[in-house]
Amino acid sequence: MTKATTLASAVALTLAACGAASAQAPAPLKATVIHWWTSGGESQAVKQFADAYNKAGGLWIDNAIAGADQSRATTINRIVGGNAPTAAQFNTSKQFRDFVEQVLLNNVDDVAAAGKWDQIMPPSILAAIKINGHFYAAPVDIHMPAWFFYSKAAYKKAGITNEPQTWDEFLAQLAKLKAAGVVPLAFGGQVWQEKITFDAIFAMVGGADLYLKVYRDRDQKAVMSPAFKQVLVDFKKLKAFVDAGSPGRNWNDATAMVVSGKAGVQIMGDWAKGEFSSAKQVAGKDFGCFPGFGPKAPYIVAGDAFVFPKTTDANAVKAQKLLATVVTSPAAQVAFNSRKGAIPIRGDVDESTLDICAKQGLAIIKDKSRQLPNSEMLATPDTTGALQDVLTSYWNKNQSPEDAQKAFARALKDQ
Amino acid sequence: MGQVVKIEKAVMDKAAGMAPGGAANDSTISAPPAVKPRRKLAWTPARIGVYGFLIVAALFFLLPLYVMLVTSVKPMEEIRLGTLFALPVHATLEPWLQAWQSACTGLECDGIRGGFWNSVAIVVPSTVLSIAIGAVNGYALSFWRPRGAGLLFAILMMGAFIPVQVMVYPLVRVLAAVNLFSSLPGIVLIHTIFGMPVMTLLFRNYYAALPMELFKAARIDGGGFWRIFLQLMLPMSTPVIVVAVIMQVTGIWNDFLLGLVFAGSEHLPMTVQLNNIINTTTGERLYNVNMAATILTSLVPLALYFISGRWFVRGIASGAVKG
Amino acid sequence: MAKKRQSVSFAAYVAMIPMALTVLLAYLGTMLWTARVSVSSSRTFPASDFVGASQYIRLFNNERWLLSLQNVAVYGVLFIAACLVIGFLLAVFIDQKVMAEGALRTIFLYPYAMSFVATGLIWQWILNPELGIQEVLHKMGFAGATFDWIVDQDMAIYTIVIATVWQASGLVMALMLSGLRGVDEELWKAARIDGIPRWRVYVSIVLPMLGPSVSTAFVLLFVMVVKVFDAVVAMTQGGPGTASEVPAKFIMDYLFGRANIGLASAASIVLLATVLAIVAPLYYVRNRRAAKGA
Repeated sequence: MTKATTLASAVALTLAACGAASAQAPAPLKATVIHWWTSGGESQAVKQFADAYNKAGGLWIDNAIAGADQSRATTINRIVGGNAPTAAQFNTSKQFRDFVEQVLLNNVDDVAAAGKWDQIMPPSILAAIKINGHFYAAPVDIHMPAWFFYSKAAYKKAGITNEPQTWDEFLAQLAKLKAAGVVPLAFGGQVWQEKITFDAIFAMVGGADLYLKVYRDRDQKAVMSPAFKQVLVDFKKLKAFVDAGSPGRNWNDATAMVVSGKAGVQIMGDWAKGEFSSAKQVAGKDFGCFPGFGPKAPYIVAGDAFVFPKTTDANAVKAQKLLATVVTSPAAQVAFNSRKGAIPIRGDVDESTLDICAKQGLAIIKDKSRQLPNSEMLATPDTTGALQDVLTSYWNKNQSPEDAQKAFARALKDQ
Repeated sequence: MGQVVKIEKAVMDKAAGMAPGGAANDSTISAPPAVKPRRKLAWTPARIGVYGFLIVAALFFLLPLYVMLVTSVKPMEEIRLGTLFALPVHATLEPWLQAWQSACTGLECDGIRGGFWNSVAIVVPSTVLSIAIGAVNGYALSFWRPRGAGLLFAILMMGAFIPVQVMVYPLVRVLAAVNLFSSLPGIVLIHTIFGMPVMTLLFRNYYAALPMELFKAARIDGGGFWRIFLQLMLPMSTPVIVVAVIMQVTGIWNDFLLGLVFAGSEHLPMTVQLNNIINTTTGERLYNVNMAATILTSLVPLALYFISGRWFVRGIASGAVKG
Repeated sequence: MAKKRQSVSFAAYVAMIPMALTVLLAYLGTMLWTARVSVSSSRTFPASDFVGASQYIRLFNNERWLLSLQNVAVYGVLFIAACLVIGFLLAVFIDQKVMAEGALRTIFLYPYAMSFVATGLIWQWILNPELGIQEVLHKMGFAGATFDWIVDQDMAIYTIVIATVWQASGLVMALMLSGLRGVDEELWKAARIDGIPRWRVYVSIVLPMLGPSVSTAFVLLFVMVVKVFDAVVAMTQGGPGTASEVPAKFIMDYLFGRANIGLASAASIVLLATVLAIVAPLYYVRNRRAAKGA
């Protein structure tokens, strides 16, 4: 009996000690995160977030699913099936409006208040994540889908010595490239790439006002105006400068053409830098980048953000808030974006590790007048899709600009 | 035409148990496949034509495989040059190693090997279950014809035409309701559901070709539903079972969407990692690794095709008819 | 030869339970649910409102949808015909006691084993005028040769036929082979004794006996046609423009990317109804013929 009592008290003491110890070392906050960053470069970027989160007392459980559509569909299915993730990646856009309407997301208002998001984030990003006065997403990067990347070797071959400052200069340079035997514009004939190219021309040639009137206000007069028609005409002018094999081409294959000097220019988002660095090319040395024509060119803003599916589980909510805080913190932002090729969502960061294109972007974005939200922030996915259909028809068939204009107007009106 | 009828009758007679050359039949069953003594076949023009056709067809079929293999051993610099058919200048097996163990699939960079056993754990029970149910369905539909079975079968076949993605959402709700969402039994059930139309069709058509006399004779002998199935029909079903296994293993092994949605994070099949390697949205694409990963993933069905040769043997179906 | 209905045992009904459950809960349930969503204004999530036929009206005003139906019809006829013919020929020729039969069979079957995401990209490259066959022909000296179907509005759909026939013929071959191998050795002997030429045996006797295999293959191929998606996405993304659009891709785009499950459901119902309209008469005729033959 005495032995038993001693044993019992020993056990009790040990348990008490363990209890005291565990009270000082709380269990890490588990967070299942669904995202679509699966390539080598993206993996390194995500690692920065995961490491930072784990260090802050969390446990990052990775649920990567390649393909943005597939990833978002999986998020939907998990939410519906009762197995929602702690956080899920979306684009800063109208993609998650329906989720908010169906009351399927937690908001992160307190994190936003503590982090002073209203003051540090660009207005277009805020417009996308702030719905009915509440913050429903934590933005993690700013992508610019309309960079112009060019091969320095190809430019040299064509005798071009400077980056174009106007649209006409750009066309002239494309003609020079063609004369030198280089494919002027490396193009991938997929609907989303055609849309990116169109939006770039639209913003540069049509101007930010027209752009907003059409995409944000759905102004039918603006769509039917001669100015918009000119945008369509100019867009089609590029067709003469792409090669016959462009339909269906992956964007990576188009970048490869620029990398090898076979093509001169590619209009693509800043993620293309990943292909360049995978080929061991350096920005400023082997390839150049400019975000538009001239010092006042609009800078189209797009990006990724985490949303937080609704949950009342106390630990899950804590995890969500911790995650939102970590991914928007300056150190994590720089670490992530320098590897992602995008720019941080806040300007108060140490720029030294960003490449020269990103540095340029960060400087531009400080000028609020140059920021232009991308069309996904202004229109629903359905509308964007309808516009893509119109554009791809116009680009690939012999449709007149007037007919395309009418189709564009119809697509905007229906939704 | 008279000759045709005569020959058909000979076959039917034989099938009904009045086989002329009984001994010859038995030997066909037990003998291993291609060991039948081959007489030297003459090189007639017809024979040359046969080989010619097969070789040309083989070349057409092999062309993409050639490009895949060549791409999988080239470094990315050579792939970027866009010379599809050229042999590699600096061949390397690095992409294969990467595909297996170090390609990035998200935060982890462990290649495709992680999901291998998960895929096995999904494929084996799903194949067995879906074929078993398909065989029983086909057998019942063909010989027994319970009331209403025809209508059920018709709806089942209509269901085969529904795109998988359309069915996902309602099935998520159903499985969540019975607590099977994101689980191994759940994904096995899903594969059985999706495999049922084709498997039932396969077996039903196969059994429809077997003579009714067999079945009648067995019933007269006092056989019941299960006895006739297990002792008579199933042993005769080897060729169709081979095809069924080929189809199900290939389909389920290569399935990505259903595994992603229904299997749960601990049981994600290999194809999810494969998709993560191949299908990046804005990330860089390493085509050599992609090709290597695709070929590696397909090795399991490929091995199956090669092994299944044993059972593509003449004469098994029309074999032993024991009363 | 019709089969008289056997006195059905209780066990048969019990054995049908899994099929009945699956049909009712999974398939019929989904069809009804899809029909319900198709008359609502559902976007990302199902909505419980009722908008009548407006999704269907929008559907039939959509050029892309109408083109996709046209494309899948053209594609379907070519694909099914090519697969049946090639599959049959391959099976017959392999059945001729050729050397290396195992290797040949694997060569014809391996495309079926591989994920079309990767093989589709390979086909895109092979058929691309600047990377693939046309380029090779140019390099070999045939300067004027053209094979740029994949970037041509009118011909793109045929490239999908080529790649998918490559993938599916092997399966048809396997089906036919299993049927052929079920043909008795005695039959060949009897035919030879009677002096019938081999090809005649194939056409007059074997082909009819392969009826079930052909029928199975036809249905399988038809299902593949209606669901064709991976090939289009991997090879042309529905392009150039919308030239190679197919219904399954249209439905997928609206289901996920464009977050409009109402329209996607309407499209699914229309697709299903079209299939029913094609299959039902054939089924009816077949049943009538079987009943008559009793």
